[in-house]
Amino acid sequence: MLCQNCGKNEATTHIKQIINGDMAESHLCSECASHLGYSDMFSGFGLNLSELFGGFLGDTKPSVSSGKSPRCPKCGSSFDEIVHSGKVGCADCYRTFYDRLLPSIQRIHGKIKHSGKTAAVASAQPKVETTAEKIEKLKSAMNDAVAKQDFENAAKIRDEIKALEGGEGNE
Amino acid sequence: MNKWYIEKGDQGDVVLSTRIRLARNIDDYPFPAKLDTAGKNSVNSLVRSVLFENDAKDFSYIEMKNLSRLQAVSLAERHLISPEFAAKKDGSALVLSADESVSIMLCEEDHIRLQVMKSGLALEEAFDIADKLDNMLSSKLNYAFDDRIGYLTQCPTNLGTAMRASVMLHLPALTRCGQMARLANTVSKLGLTIRGAFGEGSQPKGDIYQISNQITLGITEETAIANLKSIVLQLVAQERSAAAEIVKKPADEDKIFRALGILRNARLLSTDEFMELASLVRLGAARGLFEISVEKLNELIVSMQPATVSVANEDAATPSARDAIRAKAVREALA
Repeated sequence: MLCQNCGKNEATTHIKQIINGDMAESHLCSECASHLGYSDMFSGFGLNLSELFGGFLGDTKPSVSSGKSPRCPKCGSSFDEIVHSGKVGCADCYRTFYDRLLPSIQRIHGKIKHSGKTAAVASAQPKVETTAEKIEKLKSAMNDAVAKQDFENAAKIRDEIKALEGGEGNE
Repeated sequence: MNKWYIEKGDQGDVVLSTRIRLARNIDDYPFPAKLDTAGKNSVNSLVRSVLFENDAKDFSYIEMKNLSRLQAVSLAERHLISPEFAAKKDGSALVLSADESVSIMLCEEDHIRLQVMKSGLALEEAFDIADKLDNMLSSKLNYAFDDRIGYLTQCPTNLGTAMRASVMLHLPALTRCGQMARLANTVSKLGLTIRGAFGEGSQPKGDIYQISNQITLGITEETAIANLKSIVLQLVAQERSAAAEIVKKPADEDKIFRALGILRNARLLSTDEFMELASLVRLGAARGLFEISVEKLNELIVSMQPATVSVANEDAATPSARDAIRAKAVREALA
């Protein structure tokens, strides 16, 4: 029997595990077993199911090895390689092979439309300011206040700066 | 600085810890499996520069190639890194906060695996910390993201939110009642996975389980967290009532006190024996049978794992030397 992970070497390691009450068995070659954490020191750690994702993709369709299959322009992966390894090569692979990946994605997640946090919203969050940046900003505000002869405000800002600098010194 | 796992946490009698993990990739680079060491190193130094520019106060940066095998495995035993990551060398790095509550694996399966751990049940709090760090990184890095399928990850099982929320539970009573297979079956129908946190099999070591969300696409972070939380609270309630029944039975009560007797007196303790007995003692402690805090047992369960013992003790070279050191440490902790 060939290794279920790489499909190249003879499987020598037999792994049984129970997830959600169902027993799953895998046959791996020693190289993949060790790579997946099944060597002596790691006995007892879990097999990452996603590593066997190739199994999900594999039955999408029989692999077409016409030799001229399109490749991802960025990383050079072909769809067959992705199916074989269970690993997508880069972000552009998703764009290149979107339609062919979609059925598998649906099979895994049941859905094909993201909901939740988006990268655009995340990047639009106010930047986290370091204390040094805050102090820098306050100093320029203080100078502005002094220039406007608003000494009351300037004193207030000066105290804020002192507090920040003191806080930093304590860390 | 105190490590996060020493803190007392919400639902702490049953829940050991909460973990939120976000997977992120940078659009301009191929995913780690397609990236050579030089490429990985440039991803790592890019993320490092962003992190250390803003929030470096208590982060340290560790290149995996500089760790011994035992040091790396010890990090995995403390669940700070994945077992797969412990085997990595060139091109992989770890960013770790001083209290070990934040760990960021660089060039594991994805470019960035940001992980926040809290003691007890603290899903919202852990997510909040992870979310803020993620926003900070996102403001400086060009994340791989697609409006249709969310955050792009090397393995399509993580697409969407790319968030894995996990809760580590101690379920000795439910395990002894033979309920785990039924419960596992039920939670799997709710889009969650439950598995042993220390070793697989029908009875995981120490009766410690990890329950996490399985689906990441088409479900918001908030909903995934709320689902997980409600199931965890139900498991906690079931464990408590099963435990209350168990400690009433003289035979089981006897087993618990005998376990404590062995831990307080043994001269050699293997990891397996320790985990089995510690589970019983923790069950007794959680039900108030004796004056031992569950936090003390939580700490022992982490610190008595084999590689962690070896890293902390230079003379723990052989398994039997390790078993003696473990027995001594446990005796002293429970004296």
